[in-house]
Amino acid sequence: MTISLTVNGIAYQIDDSRADDKLIDFLHEELNLTGTKFCCGIGVCRACTVQVSKPPNPAPAPVVSCSTALGSLDGSAVSTIESVARGGVLDPVQQAFLENFSFQCGYCTPGFVMASRMFLEGLKAQPVPADQLEDAMMTAIGSHICRCTGYLRYFEALRPLAEAANAGQGGQQ
Amino acid sequence: MDFRETVTGAAVTRRAFLKSTGAGVALTVIAAPLGLTGRAGRAEGAGLGAGSTAVPGVARQRIDGLAKVTGQKVYARDFSAADMAGWPDNQWHALYLRALTTDQAFEGVDLGNLPPQAQPVRVVLGNELSQAQRAPKVAFTRDLHMDERMAQEIAKAQRKSTVDADGRSFNLPPDVVFDLIVVPGNIPNFLGQAVALLLFDSVAAFRAAKAAIEFNDDAFQIYGSGLRDGPPLGDAFSPTTTYVKYGDEFSYATADPETYMDQVPGYQSKIQQVLDSDPGLIRQPFSTDMQAMDPMFMEPEAGLVWIDGPAGVINIVLGTQSPDGDISNILSMYDSDDAPFHLRAVNLTSCYPGGGFGGRDSSPFTLMLALAGAYSGGNPVRLAYDRFEQFRVGLKRHGAVLTGALAIDGNMSLQAIQMTLTFDGGGRRNLSPYVASLAALCAGGSYAVPMADIFAEATHTQNISGGSQRGFGGPQAFFAIETALDDIAAGQNWDPVELRRANIVAEGGATVVGGPVEQSLRLAEMLDLAENHPLWADRAALKRESTVEGQTCYGTGLAMSLQAYGTSGDGMVASVFLNRDGTITVQSDAVDMGNGSATTLGVTIGPILGSNAAQVDMGAYTLFGMTGLSTEDSTGQGWDNPHWTAKSVGSSSACLTALHQVHTVRQTAEALFQGSVLVAATRIWGLSGLTPDEVSWQDGLLVLNAGGVVPLKLSQLADEIYAAGLPCGALGHAYFQNTWAAAIYPTPAGLVPLQLDGVSFYLPDGSDPVFVERQATSGPDSTSTRYGRYVWAPCVNVVALSVDITTGAVQIENVLSVLNAGHIHVPQLVSGQSQGGVAMAISYTLFEDMPPGMAGPANGSWNLNQYHLARAGDVPLVDGYAPGQRGQQLITLAELPGSPPVGRGIAEAVMCSVPPAISNALRDATGMRFASLPITPEKILKGLGQ
Repeated sequence: MTISLTVNGIAYQIDDSRADDKLIDFLHEELNLTGTKFCCGIGVCRACTVQVSKPPNPAPAPVVSCSTALGSLDGSAVSTIESVARGGVLDPVQQAFLENFSFQCGYCTPGFVMASRMFLEGLKAQPVPADQLEDAMMTAIGSHICRCTGYLRYFEALRPLAEAANAGQGGQQ
Repeated sequence: MDFRETVTGAAVTRRAFLKSTGAGVALTVIAAPLGLTGRAGRAEGAGLGAGSTAVPGVARQRIDGLAKVTGQKVYARDFSAADMAGWPDNQWHALYLRALTTDQAFEGVDLGNLPPQAQPVRVVLGNELSQAQRAPKVAFTRDLHMDERMAQEIAKAQRKSTVDADGRSFNLPPDVVFDLIVVPGNIPNFLGQAVALLLFDSVAAFRAAKAAIEFNDDAFQIYGSGLRDGPPLGDAFSPTTTYVKYGDEFSYATADPETYMDQVPGYQSKIQQVLDSDPGLIRQPFSTDMQAMDPMFMEPEAGLVWIDGPAGVINIVLGTQSPDGDISNILSMYDSDDAPFHLRAVNLTSCYPGGGFGGRDSSPFTLMLALAGAYSGGNPVRLAYDRFEQFRVGLKRHGAVLTGALAIDGNMSLQAIQMTLTFDGGGRRNLSPYVASLAALCAGGSYAVPMADIFAEATHTQNISGGSQRGFGGPQAFFAIETALDDIAAGQNWDPVELRRANIVAEGGATVVGGPVEQSLRLAEMLDLAENHPLWADRAALKRESTVEGQTCYGTGLAMSLQAYGTSGDGMVASVFLNRDGTITVQSDAVDMGNGSATTLGVTIGPILGSNAAQVDMGAYTLFGMTGLSTEDSTGQGWDNPHWTAKSVGSSSACLTALHQVHTVRQTAEALFQGSVLVAATRIWGLSGLTPDEVSWQDGLLVLNAGGVVPLKLSQLADEIYAAGLPCGALGHAYFQNTWAAAIYPTPAGLVPLQLDGVSFYLPDGSDPVFVERQATSGPDSTSTRYGRYVWAPCVNVVALSVDITTGAVQIENVLSVLNAGHIHVPQLVSGQSQGGVAMAISYTLFEDMPPGMAGPANGSWNLNQYHLARAGDVPLVDGYAPGQRGQQLITLAELPGSPPVGRGIAEAVMCSVPPAISNALRDATGMRFASLPITPEKILKGLGQ
């Protein structure tokens, strides 16, 4: 028996004896994809957030890779921070975080990027009333921990993107 | 491109980092490259804005930003042995077992309960270590004056024959005396001290062992009766700090150092007599306490080590704030007669730390990593703490108890501060006495006080070691005085701002140490701004509007801080190199913990050299070895000896960037510009004797102000420099101690005055930099080291909050920070530091709850599910102030006309006065003083009697 999944579009077959192994360890040790960051290891800080799509649910969901067992990912498509910039072109979320000096040490940044991108995609698919947008942002990234910059600059960077996505604008992914 | 090719790709990098110690050990510090994506290759480099469209002096983004936002390998945790070219691939994994008690002797380990697949290939106990490995002589050169004091006390004690043959004793320790791994039979000196090193040759075995051991330590350790290896708990780490000031007559800074302590008791009595003899004085006692705090930097400490024994080389990968001390400590462990191999070289790959806040300054982690490398049979070893381990052993902000009293007359004039500050130093001494000492200085707050009697100590306890953490004693000390002042104001029905304004220290005044304040502080102006801001001015109306009877109360609090930056004497080194293609590389001994030092140093040269740096290498402390300078002065000439300086380099703290490191880089850039670039321009234009005033940079071109010649690109100037053999780079060292050491340097352009105490020039032939003998040197004498600190970053914070009186929950509604940051190099970095400081301070004051002993993280089971940090919802997220919204506003003072573009180190400044402002706001809201941090909902409910 094997666990089948893709990571950034590449297919992997993993022996199910490793079903209890955590996704983040697989990413780091097997694939040398270290952009996904280990911080608390118990799924609280959300620095290790990756994107996972698993049929039959077509919508990608944020997953804390430090606490997600490989065995639960059979049939899933996993996307990590390494897949976000394409051909040297940054994703709008990355560009916004960069231009707004949203981060300092940057260790929490990949998690914020992944969660924010999925949030924007969700908004485009299902907009919310304008007066609920701030709450929606808080739901999307409000539980991520940043120790350096005090959150404000992440929200400042994301807000215009969220407004655009909520209005059906902005192309990405 | 593999890793090694990347790190040695720039010739200047490889050459400049070499240094030989007196012991003949070659040291190399390699700046971990940005843009590495593991085996996937190298991505585009970071961009400060060095291209043709960039504005010199302006940062478009962080220089490390692109690599970080795209998830490239920049942190030590990202690397494995397979990433390191030339390293063996068979990486081992290290796991330390940690002491569970300080009451019983550790007798050994019993790994019989470990399943077969989890068995280590090697178990190392304390009795297997050499003396130098077990208790390496760790040096903390954090503060020149403190180190001098310590040396004096050691000498004094040695005269009394109270230390052992090695010159080491507990109360006068020149180094760490506690074993890195407890010797079986001994009682551990503190909780979390290592008792065994387990090594695994596969990640699977390591992981299996960890799963079995974590939260179940006691099943694998054996304890019994035994002897304590060391002194009893509760003693103070040396040195303690006593600041007694009696008007202009007596103070630490002005008294004879030889007799100061002998005179202290007499003046303490005089102070008491003055206070006792004036019944009209208002006495305000205070008692505050705060728990320890975890820096909770996001990347748990991790690193790699590979000891190539036959070659005598230690290769180590680290993210550290103190590469200088770390290298020194590794040398003390292995450059010894009893070392397991003959050490010839140390190669440190210095990575960007995933946060620091002081927690990576002189961290014991480096020693534990280096130790593990000696027992892996020549294989690379990875030591990577998980969060439970990081909580268990990582350096903390000190828990503290501060008690005392203020005395003030009826005219609002402070007469005396009496304060005792007791810091819980935890197990290891680390930087605790230094922290306590700065706290003693901060105890005086922002005020001119005629009399002071302040005593600060850090005690040895069983708890997790305290260390250098953001604020360095300031958060605790400012909390004490700022809450006490508000209590006076409330008790006397005085306006809190008026009370502060009546006592602020100004230029020409003195600190509680007795050192002069020679810097413009502008405290009155800052208080005016705060007082007139609607958040404060309208506070009564806001309170009425925001209070919901029986449900919510609202309050506003104000506090100020006068956080010093730098130490009693700071040495910095930097190089500025003009590459053949006209791009610029900057190197600095500073480390960028995320605070933006690399970005700032990369743009600060822009106005001088017409372009921002294309590359900035940080953590390059071994540059000092190339300066031709030494702290040994065999001639006794002091500053007249052109090869002498007072201090080489020190640990990196964020507050050193804006003034100290920027100055060093800018002056070094000036040396290159005036000593070479200008000469090249002169040659191209066919002129002679150009002065800097006659040219300027316009749109990236060097222009003769008088016109008549074709403006020059930096690449054209580089061509001329390389063709003519002019200096293509400068290496500068600076020393600051109230004033800068300065000298005149002979250059190809003639004599150039610089505020540097060492200059060398790199020549195009690729040889080592050529020492330039300084002339007419002026430098600070030893007197001012007793001032303690010389420069300050004042801040006034106003906090408005609401309290749910049914739950005790506090919501921070608005924060106003008025900051004197001096010249602002990169505005986004300053506001980001401020916002980060506000969030950390809110977290410290309200949430971060860490009991000492085995009820806290020392038991190995603590993580973020128990230790709560401020999240986005806990912080005002609107940038600015608008009534009805939760926002935070930073007001920075405009620079005074004619003032030089000198920044102030503000990394800690905003944070320091937020906690007392919160407590003062709570007092305004509830009428209760909450003086024990963290102020949890439980404490608030208890205070409210509910």
